[in-house]
Amino acid sequence: MLAYALKRTGLAVLITAVALILLISTIQIIPGDPAAVLLGPLASPSMRETFRVEMGLDQPTVVQIARFFGRVVTGDLGTDVLTRRPVLTTVAEQLPFTLSLIAMGIVWSAAIGIPLGCYAAIHRGSVLDRLAGLLSVSVIAVPSFVIAIYSLLIFSVGLGWFPTIGAGERGRLGDQLYHLILPSLAVGLGWVGYLARIVRASMLEVLGENHIRMARAFGLSEATITYKYALKIAVIPTVVVLGIGIGNMISSAVFAEIVFARPGVGKLIYDSVITRNYPVVMGAVVLTTAFYVACTLTADLIAAWLDPRVRSNL
Amino acid sequence: MTTRFGMNRREVLGAMAAAGLTSAIYPHAAVSADGRILTVRSYSDIQVLDPLARKSAPEDDIMRNIFCGLVGNKTGDNWGWELDGAAAIKQVDDKHIEFTLMDGLKWSDGFGDVTAEDVKYSYERIADPKNDSPYKGDWAALDYVEVKDKLSGVIVLKEAFVPLWSTSLPFGSGLIVSKAAVEKAGGKFETRPPAQCGRYILTEWQPKQKVVLKANPDWPGAKAAFDEIHILPIEDEKTAELAFEGGEIDYTWVAVSSIARYKKEPPKNGTLEVKPSLAYVWLGMNQDNEALRDERVRRAVQHAIDVPTVLEAAYFGAAAPATGIIAPGLVGHRDKNLYGYDPDKSRALLKEAGLAGGLDLSLAILNKTERLSAAQAIQANLADVGINATIDQHDSGTFWSLGDEKSGDGWKKLQLMLNRFSMQPDPSWATEWFTPEQVGVWNWERFNNAEFGELHLKAKLDADPAKRHEMYVKMQDLMEESGDYVFLTHEAVGVVYRNTIVAGTMPNGTPIFHKFASA
Repeated sequence: MLAYALKRTGLAVLITAVALILLISTIQIIPGDPAAVLLGPLASPSMRETFRVEMGLDQPTVVQIARFFGRVVTGDLGTDVLTRRPVLTTVAEQLPFTLSLIAMGIVWSAAIGIPLGCYAAIHRGSVLDRLAGLLSVSVIAVPSFVIAIYSLLIFSVGLGWFPTIGAGERGRLGDQLYHLILPSLAVGLGWVGYLARIVRASMLEVLGENHIRMARAFGLSEATITYKYALKIAVIPTVVVLGIGIGNMISSAVFAEIVFARPGVGKLIYDSVITRNYPVVMGAVVLTTAFYVACTLTADLIAAWLDPRVRSNL
Repeated sequence: MTTRFGMNRREVLGAMAAAGLTSAIYPHAAVSADGRILTVRSYSDIQVLDPLARKSAPEDDIMRNIFCGLVGNKTGDNWGWELDGAAAIKQVDDKHIEFTLMDGLKWSDGFGDVTAEDVKYSYERIADPKNDSPYKGDWAALDYVEVKDKLSGVIVLKEAFVPLWSTSLPFGSGLIVSKAAVEKAGGKFETRPPAQCGRYILTEWQPKQKVVLKANPDWPGAKAAFDEIHILPIEDEKTAELAFEGGEIDYTWVAVSSIARYKKEPPKNGTLEVKPSLAYVWLGMNQDNEALRDERVRRAVQHAIDVPTVLEAAYFGAAAPATGIIAPGLVGHRDKNLYGYDPDKSRALLKEAGLAGGLDLSLAILNKTERLSAAQAIQANLADVGINATIDQHDSGTFWSLGDEKSGDGWKKLQLMLNRFSMQPDPSWATEWFTPEQVGVWNWERFNNAEFGELHLKAKLDADPAKRHEMYVKMQDLMEESGDYVFLTHEAVGVVYRNTIVAGTMPNGTPIFHKFASA
């Protein structure tokens, strides 16, 4: 297990490094002059030149990459060229909003998806099973921004049940949770379908195994067998799926943050790309990439811990 | 059966129902419900609140509340200025403006009284080439500010400068900062003003969330109408509209394409006001591109565009056709265009230019819904005369460097472009970007007319409104005669605000938050 963990961690570091090199190289290809975009029409040529030097854009790409990695290693993600604040501060301010959004999205997807999949497996072939299947595929097919917009129109503007924008008052946990309900639903609903399908398939497999038959032979109730024994095993594959799913949820979070005008890393990256604020783009992507890789790594390690067969398949 | 939390199934279900009910009845109307807090939308977060280096209009909207100038803009339907931090101000002659500050104006954070020395520092630092302020042009004519005593002084100009009263003084470049505080901060500042003196004080900035202004207890004039103003950065106009409809904000401007909808059905508990915009939208043609080098081809494009149809497609009738780049109500506004919609003439010109068989062109636009709709209508107009236009959409980062020579050779491929600039209420702000010096910078049509350049400089210095008008009309004639431009519209500005407030806005809808009041 230790050897597997070391190998997998090394691979994760390599993946992060390659992703960052690709990112910096891609930024060089994107058309558009950051100085023109950020400084506006009134900026003088000398201002633009100074700005390019400040951003390191006057240096060859290789030098930019080397400098960037050198800074990252020392924990310095650079300075936001717009506000002159450290990128780390800017990103750190936004990160909790995105993490809470994703966490709540996972809660939604697990709270609806797992019971739905479980129910479908127990009532295999019934009308409700088919309905659950249809529902699962439907929510997988609908993009998160569509869910975001319609939930906003129906529950916020139409019914007035939830707030339309923002992340709630700072320091008021209840208000912040209240502001999280709809955006996290938009982020998590797509995963309801995935989880329901996975749990259903996994449950069907587990319910057919010998130890479950044994439990039935002992006369245990169906509810005890299902929820106490079968579900505990059947739910394991969802851990791995959710590990990867968090990465997708970061993408969905961008839309939710834009539609609900919420702060967050997704929107920060989007805004920074639009304004060509490269230090923020790179700093934010470093952290989100590292976060994504860490989630995947954790999921893989959990899977390997639970299932020794995985350890031989790096 | 009870759960491990000591609740049975019924109690759990009951708790969930209560939670649902709570969310349903939880009041989330705008915080202005108690009349003490005004919640408004800005289209972006703040970056720099220093008048020397401000970057965008939302910063101006905040700065005019936390600082004061000698004069400020009037609200209402006509452009004009009124006293702000000055008790008196008077233009003695073309080059001298005497002022006296209001007594009792104080800086926050213990920086004492606002003095004439602060005025001198504020204006001269913007004019100083060493500071390389993007707004140094506002004070290009400034020689120096003479301090007479603690509260009074004289602004001394090198030459007459007409935009001084319409833009330099009442807008951001006319705001006063504390000399002592700014010098202590190292000569410049970003999002944390070292000292403030306006009707409101910036007390909190939550990046990407909100800016909180609180009424300044030391303001010597009339008490502010609201205890607090919360400014929320909401980039997307549609989101802002939904936020208004959902009761979260008290004021926002809306997408031009939404004006017709709101006119038909006003927002609940809200009022829609439509204001004339100063912005100008046009179809430009790069005269140095091979396909458009022949003036007859450019003229053919001018005659091919049915402007009202384009505007109907993009703005649903909410925007009127433009006759130039200077909006109605300003000196220099033209009465009519020189070249109108005439598809037959357009076809004849193309035939004359040897292009009877057709022509392929690209049309560069910013990726916004209204621009795409306008571009599609233009595409249809052009197809009607035999020009096949391909629409190229760009994000703002790419779009705003398309014609910039410093961004590479991309400008050579630029052919047609749909563009929009905004401006302040002086015609010189409109013509600034089309001078020969701006070719390859912001003059992407590469319209290169020496007479235009000379007129632009002369018109800034001539105080006679009639002569200025004549010069600006001539400048727009020159632009249109070049064949490089099809003037489309000045758009319109739609603002919605809660019925419980009175919105104080400039004639173009720009908000002056300290002039908002309870209805």
